[in-house]
Amino acid sequence: MNNKLLSGIGVVALVIATFYFTSPNKNYKDLEKQLKVSYVLHNPDKKLPFFSLVDHNNNKFDNNNFKGKWTLLSFIYTHCPDVCPTGLMDMSILKSTLIKRGINIVPNLVAITFDPARDTPGVLKTYVTYFDKDFLGVSGDQVQINQLIKPFGAYYERVVYAKNGKPTVLKNDEPLPKGVLEFGYLINHTAWIYLLNPDGQIFAGFPAPHNPIKMADDIELLIKNY
Amino acid sequence: MFNKTKKLMLAFTMLTILNVSTAMEHHHTNYTTTEIVINDPWVRLSPPNAPALGLFMQINNNTNYDIKLLSVNASGYKRIELHRTVAQGDMMKMAKQEFMPIPTKGKLHLKPGSWHIMLIGPKSVLRKGDTVMIDLVFDNGLTKTVYAQVRKEKKMTGNHHRMMY
Repeated sequence: MNNKLLSGIGVVALVIATFYFTSPNKNYKDLEKQLKVSYVLHNPDKKLPFFSLVDHNNNKFDNNNFKGKWTLLSFIYTHCPDVCPTGLMDMSILKSTLIKRGINIVPNLVAITFDPARDTPGVLKTYVTYFDKDFLGVSGDQVQINQLIKPFGAYYERVVYAKNGKPTVLKNDEPLPKGVLEFGYLINHTAWIYLLNPDGQIFAGFPAPHNPIKMADDIELLIKNY
Repeated sequence: MFNKTKKLMLAFTMLTILNVSTAMEHHHTNYTTTEIVINDPWVRLSPPNAPALGLFMQINNNTNYDIKLLSVNASGYKRIELHRTVAQGDMMKMAKQEFMPIPTKGKLHLKPGSWHIMLIGPKSVLRKGDTVMIDLVFDNGLTKTVYAQVRKEKKMTGNHHRMMY
């Protein structure tokens, strides 16, 4: 009986140990405890869906642009007076911080718009390169952008205000009402910054408000343990 | 001779009255302007094609009653709106506000990620160091004119490494 119990415990321990040592997320889960301002979002079984967008130089921007290098990514819209400029500035400070620390891997800076109807490649180029000359703005098909943001857990909604101040929230697949482009609308949105690994997969996420110095500490740790 | 003296005296009296009333008016103005004190108004330096600019400041209410900022006027913008960024879970909501409340003997801090004034459709590009003249209209009948400086905010808060932009 005792022997059976012992071997039973042994099997359970073996299963746990096997899972513990072979689970790809294990190391990152341990690592996550040391992180200050980020979450590991790595899931090797969940690949980023195929997408094809346009960068601010009118070149194709697809999954391949995330491969072979680390990328810092955020979703923005240029009519955003508060959250997005703050986030873009934080990303630029983060990049300079990593450079100053002499880290050999400096991530690319990419900003994809939620709002391609207003944020054409030309608009994005002027806007994002203002924060950092190395920023790459990405626009393209709204449906593809809607698909792409899902695995990141990012979401948004357009809000149109009537003249009496009453807000109406539009569904993302709803066509824009007439005249709304001229009068304008706001977008409620998530404001995380994401780190993608050189396999082009989502690796870590940083919720707002951002602290670029603590983010740099985390990124150093994440890249070192990758 | 008498007439001349009378005339001079009259002129002197009138001047004195005028002077006193101007002084009183001046005193009155000084008194009312300290009811609401605006500190550090600034406009965020933004990309040249930014469709909207954020305006921030601290509004101090020294009166014995709550006041509301009702509207903001400045020339050179398509529209000016009062806004507040509110975090709801992960979602950052930009809610348009009908007014901004400033509690009695209290203050409202307009800052990135919080209450702010949105200058929409700027007709010209603002550069670092420019000043923007802005009128703030309050519900107690007062209008305050402030001169906001265009800058990248670099303010250290608490943790000396943290920079707020």
